Amino acid sequence: MVVENVNPSVYQKLEERKLSQTDYDNDYEDMIDEREVFDMIRNLQDPEHPLSLEELNVLDIDSVTIDNKAYLCKVEFTPTIPHCSMATLIGLSIKVKLLRSLPTKFKTEVSIKAGTHASETAINKQLADKERVAAALENVHLLQVVNKCLEDEYNR
Amino acid sequence: MLKLVTTLAGHDDMVWCVAWNPKGNLLASCGGDHSVRIWSQKGQNGEEANQWTCRAKLSDGHSRTIRWVSWSPCGKKLATASFDTTIIIWKQKNDFDFEIIANLEGHENEVKCTAWSIDGSFLASCSRDRSVWVWDVSEDEEYECSSVLTSHSQDVKHVLWNPHKNILVSSSYDNSIKMYQQDVDDWINTETLESHQSTVWSCDYNPEGTRLISCSDDKTLKLWKEDPEKKNKSSWSCYSTISGFHNRTIYSVKWSKTNNLIATASADNSIHIFKENESSDANEPTLLLLEHKENAHCQDCNCIDWNPVQNNLLASCSDDGTVKIWKFDE
Amino acid sequence: MSSKFSGIIQINDLDDFIGPGQECVKPVKLEKKPTKKAGLIQIIDETGLQEAPKPKVQKAKISLDDCLACSGCVTSAETVLINQQSTDELFKIIENNKKHIENQKFCHVKKIIVSISPQSRASLAARYNLDLETCTKKLCGFFKNYFNAEFVFDTTFSREFSLIESEREFVERFRKFQSNSSSVKLPILTSSCPGWICYAEKTHGSFILPYISTVKSPQQVMGSLVKDYLCKNIFDMTPDNIYHVSIMPCYDKKLESSRKEFYNEFHQSKDVDCVLSTIEIESLFQKENIDLSSIQDSDLDLPFSLSKNQISVKKELEKQSLLYNHEGGGSGGYLEHVLINSAKVLFDFDLSRDQIVYKQLRNTDFKEVNLEINGEVKLRFALAYGFRNIQNIVQKIKKNNCHYHYIEIMACPSGCLNGGGQIRDESTNSLSKELFEKVENIYYSVKAQILRDNIFVKSLYESDWLNNDEINLKRNLHTTYHEVEKITNGLSIKW
Repeated sequence: MVVENVNPSVYQKLEERKLSQTDYDNDYEDMIDEREVFDMIRNLQDPEHPLSLEELNVLDIDSVTIDNKAYLCKVEFTPTIPHCSMATLIGLSIKVKLLRSLPTKFKTEVSIKAGTHASETAINKQLADKERVAAALENVHLLQVVNKCLEDEYNR
Repeated sequence: MLKLVTTLAGHDDMVWCVAWNPKGNLLASCGGDHSVRIWSQKGQNGEEANQWTCRAKLSDGHSRTIRWVSWSPCGKKLATASFDTTIIIWKQKNDFDFEIIANLEGHENEVKCTAWSIDGSFLASCSRDRSVWVWDVSEDEEYECSSVLTSHSQDVKHVLWNPHKNILVSSSYDNSIKMYQQDVDDWINTETLESHQSTVWSCDYNPEGTRLISCSDDKTLKLWKEDPEKKNKSSWSCYSTISGFHNRTIYSVKWSKTNNLIATASADNSIHIFKENESSDANEPTLLLLEHKENAHCQDCNCIDWNPVQNNLLASCSDDGTVKIWKFDE
Repeated sequence: MSSKFSGIIQINDLDDFIGPGQECVKPVKLEKKPTKKAGLIQIIDETGLQEAPKPKVQKAKISLDDCLACSGCVTSAETVLINQQSTDELFKIIENNKKHIENQKFCHVKKIIVSISPQSRASLAARYNLDLETCTKKLCGFFKNYFNAEFVFDTTFSREFSLIESEREFVERFRKFQSNSSSVKLPILTSSCPGWICYAEKTHGSFILPYISTVKSPQQVMGSLVKDYLCKNIFDMTPDNIYHVSIMPCYDKKLESSRKEFYNEFHQSKDVDCVLSTIEIESLFQKENIDLSSIQDSDLDLPFSLSKNQISVKKELEKQSLLYNHEGGGSGGYLEHVLINSAKVLFDFDLSRDQIVYKQLRNTDFKEVNLEINGEVKLRFALAYGFRNIQNIVQKIKKNNCHYHYIEIMACPSGCLNGGGQIRDESTNSLSKELFEKVENIYYSVKAQILRDNIFVKSLYESDWLNNDEINLKRNLHTTYHEVEKITNGLSIKW
């Protein structure tokens, strides 16, 4: 079987984060912001192509929404093509990265951007189901693939 | 007023389920650390103590998360459902000593819930493989498959028996609730309750077994009752939807058989207590909110259970790894 | 579309009904190349990168064998299967035949052979309110005229071989077991139900396979008869020039006909090309407004090379009808035949059919029969139909708690007469008790005969095709099983 989307479009990366005054102030309580979360997930690898989710425009800075009062973090991603069969896996990788990186009091919601995938309703429901995600991550083989998407960022 | 009695720490991972034994003196909890813990107020030498402690840890059974634990009606056996696709039956040898007496295989993938029928003659289980299994419990502890029901089109989250008769109820990811009854030598799907807009996580009967309350990922509770006039397929229907109280998925709902109160556990970290509104005025809400305990836990609240004997005692558990016992004063 | 596969096949699938295009992710190991040579990227201008024109790649087609080899979902296979084995496919073949004849390309014309199962003809007879003999004659007429079938066979004949081989197999294994119990496994589990075989291979694999009988099902024995024996002895053509259609009471048989073991690599030909279920025939009648009772009669044929034994066979044919039955239930009667034969061969005991007493256990689909001689139980046989009973049997075997010697296993409750492809009540779309009894009565309305002592079966055993030779018997009448590998490729795991 052929890998879908053999020649995906590659996009430019966001520039480095500019430090602000408050970053130097030790007494200032740094709230988690969109840029911080984006930096956590932008370099996740696509399971099929040796490119990051940012480079494939699956994620960009507008994908992330943070509500610090409600401790809610929402990420919307755009699969490269509307029938992408890796969409569920990509969503799962993003979810895992957030679960591992954000403080436990944060609730995370990962979903496909409306109108960008044929099965978005079904996939969003699956990603929102905590029990399904927990069970999936106990599957050794699946976890291996997910970890690969997460670890490769260090090799870039 | 919901007052915290104690916080029980010990699990090394999220706690998925809590269950009081029929006598109300033992609390079982299970979770992501592959173990079941039994908590009691008895001290080391059997004396009554003020402290709740963990008296037993059953960890050599399952190889993956234990999702559900339930006590048999006689109080001497436990059935645990695990993501490792099996169900284990544990028997109490003495006080806090449990041994494995049966290992039930058959489900294709993760088992989500187990439930004993009121007379203890059947055990029901459900799984992500969309099926609900009914097991015969024979006198010599042989557990044999009595029926495999595949009426749901998706993952089945919860199974429950009617408190007075052998009617089985299942809740599913396919947004529906189904009821099953025996027909000659097999079980058949007799009712399908559809109204929820998303996964139905759990449900519970009122003490008489005449009404059902269900909770869902759509953040609402729904009340159902049977219409005695209707003889055809769908005689159960939803007569009330309770919304606006929960901000996120409601995972668990329990209707106390002693004080008739309804407790819910939700992903918004809170516990709610409701009471049925006595008023027969149609404009009045069906349930009255008695308590909204925000941040009952620091993370998602997964399960809640009323003590069947000690009035107004409640147990809850959470992703934060703790089990909490509460006292409710009306 | 509601699945007409047996309950076991349905339970095993984890997916919703999704077309193979979307969900089927045939596991492919992706080699991760170093990043420098990612895809073909052409730099067009400063504003960005543009993808190079995609090379024309052939649309990936998953063949049914690929589908079955992958242990993922069976439902994606369902769409593929039903497309490949349908009345539409058959009519395509008939159309092509016509074209080839027009173009004088006679070597491309496929000979159409139809085999009908006794359960299907009983179901059709019940539906159209005909007696079995008339219905069979009408069906033969229909197949020969509408399907352009050259011959119409009855799988009751090929079932003879399945029964004889099952009897032999049991006696052999039982004797071996008595002398050295570790070399062979008892109980023997019957193999004619593909729903059961599929489940066994996927779920219990290497543990349960040694218990299963190696005898081919009647459908596949007929497949061998048609594509091997008849091709060599009557048709004088290669098997790929025959299009063998079988009419069966369930959809699981479509899965069976697609097995690798029943595919001739050399000639690229399946032993059974197309399985049509009883309801597919019924809906064909409805679609084409065919009134079965008004079709011209024709007769059943015998898959036997008449050229060699002309005179004596002709005499035999005049003596008996080709329409007959086997005792022992609507699923073939394996338990009873093996029991009676074993009683005689192993214990020199003449057991008659009416001495067989079934004891019902937990439900009507789970029964046991004991062979008692002088108060001693010599053999314990059982019947287990339906998923729940199969579950219990397998678990008993796993726990070394199974005392039976032979178990007749069928995936459908009440057996093949209640197969997933049998005609249902129009109003309720389920098989009511009345309808089932009607079909059962029609099924038994023909005399049960045993033809093995008869010239046809004897001749075939003595012919070159079998020659009572171990190797030939194994090749033509027996089969093998393989464990289906569990998916370990993370990319295609369903959660």
